Amino acid sequence: MENNTLDIIVCIKQVPMVSELPWNSKTGTLKRELAQGMMDPASRLALEAGLRLQRAGQLEDRRIRVTALTMGPPMAEEVLHQAVSLGADHGVLLTDRKMAGADTNLTSFILGRYIRMFKPDTGLVLCGAQTSDSETAQVGPQLACELDFPAIGWASDIRLTQRTLVVTRLVDDFMETLEMDLPGLVTIELGAFVPRYAGLAGVAQAFASPKIDVVDADRLELDRDFNALKDSPTRILDVFSPATQKESRVLKGAAKTVVDKLFTDYGKIISSAMGKDLKKK
Amino acid sequence: MDFNPCMKHQVVRKTVREFAENEIGPHAASLDREGRFPTEIIEKMGPLNYFGLQVPPSLGGAGLDTISYAIVIEELSRVCAALGLCVSVHNSVGLYPILRFGTDEQIARFVPDMAAGKHIGAFCLTEANAGSDAGGVETVAIKTDDGYTINGTKIFVTNGGVCDVVLVFAVDAGSQGPSRSNVFIVEKKCPGFSVGEIEDLCGMRANPVSSLFFENCRIPETNLLGKPGQGLKIGLTALDTGRIGIAAQALGIAQAAFEAALSYAKERRQFNSPLTKFQTIQNYLADMATSIESSRLLLYRAAAAKDKGGDFGAQSAMAKLSCSATARTVTDLAVQIHGGYGYSREYDVERYFREAKVTQIYEGTSEVQKMVIARHLITRPS
Amino acid sequence: MSKNSTGKDIWVLGDYRNYFKNRVTLQILARARALAEKTGGRVCGVVFGHDVGGYTGEYIAHGADRVYVIDHPRLKSYGIETFTNLLIRLARDMNPDIILIGATRFGQEVAPRVAKQLDTGLTADCIDLEIDDKGRLVQIAPSFGGNLIARILTPKARPQMATVRPGTFHELPHDNTAKGEVVTLDLPEDLPAERVRCTHSEYRPAKTLGIEKADIVITGGRGMGSKGKFKKLFDLAGLLNAEVGATRPVVHAGWVGHEALVGQAGKHIRPKVLFSFGISGAIQHTAALMDADFIVAVNKNPDATMMKLADVAIVADANQVCSGIIRALKEKIRD
Repeated sequence: MENNTLDIIVCIKQVPMVSELPWNSKTGTLKRELAQGMMDPASRLALEAGLRLQRAGQLEDRRIRVTALTMGPPMAEEVLHQAVSLGADHGVLLTDRKMAGADTNLTSFILGRYIRMFKPDTGLVLCGAQTSDSETAQVGPQLACELDFPAIGWASDIRLTQRTLVVTRLVDDFMETLEMDLPGLVTIELGAFVPRYAGLAGVAQAFASPKIDVVDADRLELDRDFNALKDSPTRILDVFSPATQKESRVLKGAAKTVVDKLFTDYGKIISSAMGKDLKKK
Repeated sequence: MDFNPCMKHQVVRKTVREFAENEIGPHAASLDREGRFPTEIIEKMGPLNYFGLQVPPSLGGAGLDTISYAIVIEELSRVCAALGLCVSVHNSVGLYPILRFGTDEQIARFVPDMAAGKHIGAFCLTEANAGSDAGGVETVAIKTDDGYTINGTKIFVTNGGVCDVVLVFAVDAGSQGPSRSNVFIVEKKCPGFSVGEIEDLCGMRANPVSSLFFENCRIPETNLLGKPGQGLKIGLTALDTGRIGIAAQALGIAQAAFEAALSYAKERRQFNSPLTKFQTIQNYLADMATSIESSRLLLYRAAAAKDKGGDFGAQSAMAKLSCSATARTVTDLAVQIHGGYGYSREYDVERYFREAKVTQIYEGTSEVQKMVIARHLITRPS
Repeated sequence: MSKNSTGKDIWVLGDYRNYFKNRVTLQILARARALAEKTGGRVCGVVFGHDVGGYTGEYIAHGADRVYVIDHPRLKSYGIETFTNLLIRLARDMNPDIILIGATRFGQEVAPRVAKQLDTGLTADCIDLEIDDKGRLVQIAPSFGGNLIARILTPKARPQMATVRPGTFHELPHDNTAKGEVVTLDLPEDLPAERVRCTHSEYRPAKTLGIEKADIVITGGRGMGSKGKFKKLFDLAGLLNAEVGATRPVVHAGWVGHEALVGQAGKHIRPKVLFSFGISGAIQHTAALMDADFIVAVNKNPDATMMKLADVAIVADANQVCSGIIRALKEKIRD
């Protein structure tokens, strides 16, 4: 790695647009608009973090290249164009039917394989702390394992010195300042930054000279019989709708009676939302 | 023929929608109520190239194609038609004629600041006795030794209250016929230029539509746009382009009204059923959606035709005629579906309803669009 | 496989930092206890730290059969790489069947790394855990943005791993008589140095999140009766750590500020639990709360729209029920 150059990879994910989120809790139906994708908000902040480092680097005459990396169906290319519109230097789409259905373990494996094969000089990997669709918060830490990078999760701010990254975060009620040497991986917490809006010149530019590389399973030299869905250690047994299980329950009677009933039958839901364990009686 | 939007146009749409919904949407109703032009939002839009949509990047613009331009106006207007109007007028009739007909010097002098949103553009043709009939213009420009002196009053000037640069359509008092008209670039600082009261309009209330006064307004010779006598040509070219913007604006209003009506119809219950269970309402929704989709196709076709070059006047007139009619019927039905709530200021459809009407009036009334279309049909070699 | 291992044990990572607030380990131990009844394995706590003897006893009193402890000054504060490394070594050595970890921020960092390096699956934020008829762990978790609930298995890989949010399960009563075994292990000598250095750490308890992010929201309408009675909702909010929202008529009446308005023209909320008091449910209000996971509505009128939208519709006076819940909570919240 040249001393004055830093390659940053930002992992971004295309997620269903929340405002159109196609679930009607009363009728229990999933709707087609799932196809409408957007850049996951936490990924967007990871990109913002990368772009801020890129800008700061320019001031210090340091070349910081930002590559947006995603894995998904061909239509996920859209979020890469958005990333380039916002200021990323390149976009990379990992797409192949064999990669479909990967759980976090295999997702991190594929992302890591790409980085090792094609971007071995990567100095910093940034991810959203958790994506808005699955919220597992697992891919970041697992990718760090895959790359054997030190990693810090839930960052609310990052600063770069010559070879050290300084991260601020608020976790489990502790405000912490952490440091690590690069290469490393950081996941960015929602709310860490106010992300920029893409300028329309940036959008036009992104399409005028496309900077998207599309990589399939062959280029990653995955095994011929690689199948992310089959190879994932977890399996979805079935899926059901929480709402169709229960009808609207009507409670009648004196205030004391209905309150007692409420806590007897639904105390767990309330205590879970409070994050506290309530006494049964 | 591919009717699917390409990825670029999808990204343009999402980019604008995100900005508009976050930064403009929360204020749209109060801006309308207060009749306030949101300078603070304009300042955010400038660096994002909203004021140089089709200006080349070398001059600080976005360099977008015309379909993208239409999508930008549509998405802005879906959230706040008054701001969509500001951006459309600035880009299409304020800025575009300078790019198209201006000298290199004029382009260098005016375009970068306009494209950056630092200077807002406007265009004025309409007068007390001239609107659809450009021949009735009474604002006169007299050639002097070192420039021109303009006298007259323009009315209903979109962006009038905030414009820094305005294209003024004026006639040469001494001559007759179509070649007696010229378009001048008047700057706010020109002596003898002043702004009248902001109009108290039915809709588009956040746009400072006003009269402009020219009293011995002196402008340098270098502010004549195009060649002497080219005024009508410039004016008509500007309007051809402007129509695409207003058509897009009308479409955005219709889209917003449709979305509001659809979501209301799904939630609102009468006779123990959501409104969507009633066939009458279903028919309304089907009509609205069909009308919007057909207008949208006409609009994008006109926009694509403009980029191909050649005459797109009839197509843009059809697009505007269709989109503005759609806006009227769709907002009307949206209010109807909302019932009493739709007539209340608490609901956005009331605003859409007021906003839609003017799209049939400005940048050429629907009647004028039909004239343009008919003239094209009749004069076209068969 | 170590001779200590049965291959059936259920491990629970002892996440004791912030112990008086964070009782997630105790809550998971209780669930592990129930699961172990079906698998026939032992419930084992795993504790890394320094001077952590107090926690081992506490875990046994709350359901652990055995607690593995590594107690060393080097483990005085949480170190992500160190704790991960220790748990992986131990798991490789002892071969547990299941590892359960509290979904604190720390747990969310540890669990995926352990799963990755053990090459096994991990289900995040389970809302329930069961054992199926083949003795496998059924991990029940929200998916598709919380719109659906999925039942997930780890058919082959072991251990089966899951994280659980605090508050999901109930801790068992503290049992002084419970017997358990404490297995003290040495800190491995070849433990790699922590690559992440903590230069500053300060306890900063969370403030409120704001109504749009709040897990519990309490909304009130004119059915609360008066401005004075509406204030009761704030007392309830204090107990539930909730935010208060209101309908337009209430805001217009000046009972509460505009910032509390929940509706198309106000805030959009997506709480886990929504308590709606005395609200009939105008569409502009209800449209902004359709993302609530669980709705409790209180209204005298059973036919009010809000009651139809509720999971639990309480037909009663909003005021009295509000007071009743306040009283009940004061008894139930552990101090």
